[in-house]
Amino acid sequence: MRVDVVLFAHFSGFQPDGKGGRHARAFEFEEGTTIADVIAMLGLPDEPRVIFVNSTHAPEEQELRDGDRLAIFPPVAGG
Amino acid sequence: MREILRVDMSTLQVTREPLPEKWARYGGRALTSAIVYSEVPAGADPLGPENKLVIAPGLLGGTSAPNGGRLSVGAKSPLTGGIKEANSGGTAAHALGKMGIAAIIIEGAPADKTALYALRLFPDGTVDVVRRHDLAGLGAYETVAVAKGIEASEHRMSDKSSFLVIGPSGEMKMKSAGIAVTDPLGHPNRYAGRGGLGAVMGSKGLKLIAIFEEGLKPKQHADKDAFIAAVRKFSGALTTHAVTSQALPTFGTNVLANIINEAGGYPTRNFSSGQFEGVDGISGETMREITVERGGNVKHGCHTGCVIQCSRYYVDEDGHYMTKGPEYESAWSLGANCGIDDMDMVAKLDRKCGEIGIDTIEAGVMLGVYMASGEIAFGDGEAALKALDEIGRGTELGKVLGDGAEATGVKFGVKNIPVVKHQGLPAYDPRPIQGIGVTYATSTMGADHTAGYTITSNVLAVGGTVDPLKPEGQAALSQGLQIATAMLDAMGLCIFVAFAVLDMPEALEAIHEMAAAHTGDDWDVDALMQLGKETLAYERIFNEHAGFTAADDRLPAFFLEEKLPPHDVVFTVTDEELDSVYSFVPEVAEQLGIE
Repeated sequence: MRVDVVLFAHFSGFQPDGKGGRHARAFEFEEGTTIADVIAMLGLPDEPRVIFVNSTHAPEEQELRDGDRLAIFPPVAGG
Repeated sequence: MREILRVDMSTLQVTREPLPEKWARYGGRALTSAIVYSEVPAGADPLGPENKLVIAPGLLGGTSAPNGGRLSVGAKSPLTGGIKEANSGGTAAHALGKMGIAAIIIEGAPADKTALYALRLFPDGTVDVVRRHDLAGLGAYETVAVAKGIEASEHRMSDKSSFLVIGPSGEMKMKSAGIAVTDPLGHPNRYAGRGGLGAVMGSKGLKLIAIFEEGLKPKQHADKDAFIAAVRKFSGALTTHAVTSQALPTFGTNVLANIINEAGGYPTRNFSSGQFEGVDGISGETMREITVERGGNVKHGCHTGCVIQCSRYYVDEDGHYMTKGPEYESAWSLGANCGIDDMDMVAKLDRKCGEIGIDTIEAGVMLGVYMASGEIAFGDGEAALKALDEIGRGTELGKVLGDGAEATGVKFGVKNIPVVKHQGLPAYDPRPIQGIGVTYATSTMGADHTAGYTITSNVLAVGGTVDPLKPEGQAALSQGLQIATAMLDAMGLCIFVAFAVLDMPEALEAIHEMAAAHTGDDWDVDALMQLGKETLAYERIFNEHAGFTAADDRLPAFFLEEKLPPHDVVFTVTDEELDSVYSFVPEVAEQLGIE
């Protein structure tokens, strides 16, 4: 299945193509792949994260589906 | 003993009086709101001599409390018709604190409506009011430059100087006029922006307040060792929490753009969509990349003692200072809300607002409404710049636009005008982020995100989580945050400390430990929350006297009727829940003996 993965703030440097930036990359994953599996694959730092699948908050154990957009943020805030 | 400095602009007399004992535990917003409640008739004309402009550092102002240098400016608002506290960074609050001034109350108005004055406070305690017609009509930056030149010629200038100024919009008493406050490098780029307080200052014939603090020392503490220990504890929390130690210093407040957009709550083109296709161009990450490439500063504090350092300067292609790095709210209001995706254009608009002296949120919401009217097109930055020029010149059109989003929407027949209590909504759509809708609807300030920043739990997973798409739990979340925020504003603390405070119990402890060690009074968590409740009680009751009812604690109808993409939701928190947010007020008012 195909999932768009987009990483923000200092996570953007963890895209496997090494190019950084915040533009979504398309990945092919096995059926049943969870968000946690993707986080492990990307090697994201072990710190709190805020995760959205298709613009809705999602837990790390959630299984991804074909066509999903997965967005992962480190802890951010402002105002 | 802290003092009140009273400046009567009718007589140009300045007097000092001790801070009343009943307000000994108050600073910042608690003090500005208590004074406005007590001294300004609720029915007063906001631009008349009965209104008073009150300027107060927090209880911790003038100390080394980390992030403790915020300034509160209060009055009856010409925009909302209710009470107002606009909060600013910059160096003025600590300077006033070091002088032992709890609040400046500016009252009356000159008989000569064209007269323009400067109020000056000197380190030896002398204060004067001088005529300054040479400053008439000048933009905020030029005002500061001219004033510095005059003071330098009189040998009074030093790097230890702070200025509060208004631009031409304030002189013309426009309802979106703010008060600019200088930052550590003397740029007038911090703002007590919201609610038209620049117009109140203009109505007093006051163009400039100069504060000279050369040689003044930080205030003494009742228990110095305990204060230093509490400062270390607080500073430790702020420099440990991921938000206050990494995201904010690296990317600034505009790091929010992508996450609010991803959550579908980034108001786009006058609140007609929750996602902006051009968000990347105006995001905090892009702003950092551009600024670093051009050699601009990307990390400093807006006041001394700041350990978060979320401020930055935006520079042009040649590396010259243009404006402060537009904050998240400004980049949104002048960017996504206008359909503009170009960071340089956003910076030009931000600088223009800074020159004219208007609130960037109200300006961007106004421009969004103006664009929705079809008078100018969404995405047309040059037309937006020209519209702002109309405000600066005070043309017939400019006078409408300068009075903000509602005045503009009424004038041009726009159906969807995003305001509460006549004040424009900030950068979070209340349909997919319902908690912030509760704050917008119920805040004593009119639509204001800082008053109860539910984005923490709704989107950012700070201080727990509350599903942003559902109505459940939003009223309680907003109430708790409105109380806590009023407390932080009273202490003079930057509200960004809340990100650490909400997640780290020791940070909250450190606040009451600093207050106790500094003042020698008893402070604990309950006392902190009581301070927040008392502040809100003064504000809420003032607003009731000014004529506000439950009907004013509501969002505009289109947020309840028109679904917002991509989530296709409307605001569903019930009126009953909204009316529960201020349920604590009668009991607190009785304790205070106010009604």
